[in-house]
Amino acid sequence: MSGFHSLTVAGIQQEAGGSATSVTFDLPPALAETFRWQAGQHLPVRFETGGREYRRCYSISSPPGAPLRITVKRVKGGVVSNRISDSLAPGSTVEAMPPAGRFVLAPAALARRTHYFFAAGSGITPLFAMIRAVLDHEPHSAAHLIYGNRSARGIIFREELEALAAAFPDRFTLRHVLSSPRLWSGFTPWRSGRITRDAISAAFAGTPPVAQDVQYWICGPGTMNAGIRKALMELDVPAGRIRMESFGLSSPSGSTGPAGVAATASVTVNGSRREIPVAAGQTLLEAALASGLTPPHSCQSGVCGACRARLTSGRVEMRAQMALSSSEVEQGDILTCQSLAETSELAVVYKD
Amino acid sequence: MTAMYHRLPVSAYTSQDWFDREQALIFSRSWRYAGLAEDVPEPGHYIAVQAGLNNLFIVMGRDRRLRAFHNICRHRGTQLIRAVGKSQKALTCPYHDWTYDLEGNLVSVPDEAREYPGGLDKSCLGLKPASVDIWRGMLFVHPDPRAPGLAEWFGAVDPHLGPHKSDQLAEYPEARQTYEIKANWKIVVENYIDVYHLSHLHANTLHMYDHAKAEYGWKGPHYHFWEPPSAAYAKDLEKNLPTPRVIPQPHTGTWVPMLFPGIGIGASEDSWNLFIITPLGPKLTRVENRTKLASASEWEFSKQAWSSQGFWKNFGGPKYSGSDASGEDDPMASGDFTAEDIYACEQQQKSLQSPYFEVGPAAAGESPVIRHQQAVLDFLAAQETPAP
Repeated sequence: MSGFHSLTVAGIQQEAGGSATSVTFDLPPALAETFRWQAGQHLPVRFETGGREYRRCYSISSPPGAPLRITVKRVKGGVVSNRISDSLAPGSTVEAMPPAGRFVLAPAALARRTHYFFAAGSGITPLFAMIRAVLDHEPHSAAHLIYGNRSARGIIFREELEALAAAFPDRFTLRHVLSSPRLWSGFTPWRSGRITRDAISAAFAGTPPVAQDVQYWICGPGTMNAGIRKALMELDVPAGRIRMESFGLSSPSGSTGPAGVAATASVTVNGSRREIPVAAGQTLLEAALASGLTPPHSCQSGVCGACRARLTSGRVEMRAQMALSSSEVEQGDILTCQSLAETSELAVVYKD
Repeated sequence: MTAMYHRLPVSAYTSQDWFDREQALIFSRSWRYAGLAEDVPEPGHYIAVQAGLNNLFIVMGRDRRLRAFHNICRHRGTQLIRAVGKSQKALTCPYHDWTYDLEGNLVSVPDEAREYPGGLDKSCLGLKPASVDIWRGMLFVHPDPRAPGLAEWFGAVDPHLGPHKSDQLAEYPEARQTYEIKANWKIVVENYIDVYHLSHLHANTLHMYDHAKAEYGWKGPHYHFWEPPSAAYAKDLEKNLPTPRVIPQPHTGTWVPMLFPGIGIGASEDSWNLFIITPLGPKLTRVENRTKLASASEWEFSKQAWSSQGFWKNFGGPKYSGSDASGEDDPMASGDFTAEDIYACEQQQKSLQSPYFEVGPAAAGESPVIRHQQAVLDFLAAQETPAP
């Protein structure tokens, strides 16, 4: 069952000195099944402000079985993140769709794995849920977190992570990497600087895999993800063992992102095809919705993958494509909410 | 009528047919011990290991993850690497210099264009992968890359194996040894798990533990065993331990499991020992021993040796002495329980040849012997049943 449901806020918690906010929801039993999630997934939410609808996806930071919780980093000038931080309170309602996303760690009682997690900033949120899921539900496996932040003040879940390291000394290790550590903060990170290949290699040497089914999970800004992936591959890690998700689109529409050209698009939804106009700078999804079509969509941030379609002719430029694997991109899959026309004629097909 | 030795025919202990069947269906289709984790200590290091009919090798990548492959060049089958060693980034077959990377991909074929004018699809000629994992500080390999994991294989017996963290102990190299026993591997296993013999064959060598209080049982094909220290040893136990403790107090006793097939561990308050049984022929078996002790200073070891010498000075002795012993080198006069075991195994194997051999009734303390025979039969049956 998809579509939006009204969820009631049970609690609000400021994280890392107010730079992020955790929102815990009260899930009524009737919605428990609909809102069942897997560690790593996100919650699509919708807010209306000033007569406009805003859709966002926020990572769920609690493991399945715990109360549903999202953690939202406050973005300077961000309409939704500031509204969440400033005006939500216990008892408020939030419009949310069922959890979605394919960046998922499914724990298995008899799996025996070593998980290395690489997080930067608020990229910790889905990884935190994954780490908890491994520690609680994958008893033969170990988790190692390498966590980058600017300074100690901005470390989300610092106390919770330290508590986990103390509770699971044989199965969980925590390494902080700070790019601008403050000298007198009283906090000594494992390393200063960035999560480089040397840092990763040192972490592997310090806590080598015991279980040899090794998985690598990366969540941070796109540039960091690419850097860590490259470093891992230089250290012989096979690409198939690396999973990553980006956050924080570096180019919201207008800045340095793709501009797009005006085009005519042939759009097939539910098997019926229509020609629609696409304005320069308009995404294919926006154009389709403006023409009265009802293609599937959800987060409108390029994260959830709900608006995926196959490009059968023409070219588009995507602002972000994190919900797609590279092989899907090669096959011509696009995220229509992120796609601007690059050719004046194109054709896309939404699969059912 | 087939001569039986409890559940198994006597021929299971003597015939080449049975040996071949066990090699193919047990030792080539189960997780094999391949060494200690520290045997492959750094990226680029590798070891080769025989696992039943398969020769496998383990190599560590720069990510410190182990990879296991069948040690067979995809060209003409030459074994790629020998025993132990260190390579950089690539594995080259000595025969025609075909070269593989650490993921097993065939990356270079000398004179490729000239020798293979029709082209060569290197992507289909990667090394065949196998499974490798580390458990309780030991390396294990399985010839099947999709083998069920070690948590599935050892998970149920794991809680019964003692609180030892063997990866945190230090090997005692002087105790490392390999020797051959002229007996079938199952005779050696059965001797290891025969609870009845402890108070008799080893009356004067293993009596620091109380065999009457032994607790033992099975989890699938794996046998577990624990017994407490004897009253004399337990009185002042901390003083009597010959070397520093390897497990925290108040744990006491000795854990002596036999994991399937033929992986024996003997772990006590102050040491952790391996007893790896490998069949070499129907009537020949290799045993490999390795020992780990506390990672403690020489001073700690000296202190413990002094404090315990009073207990050990008068402890033990030969089973036979004086005119009962056949000579100076009689294993029964050695006062060494390993020599006693080898002797018993070999004497037993000799009798299996005799047309007059007829097995006597099994004692309660020999129930593990029968249970192990059943484990062998069950494993063979499962392998011989075609997959649905």
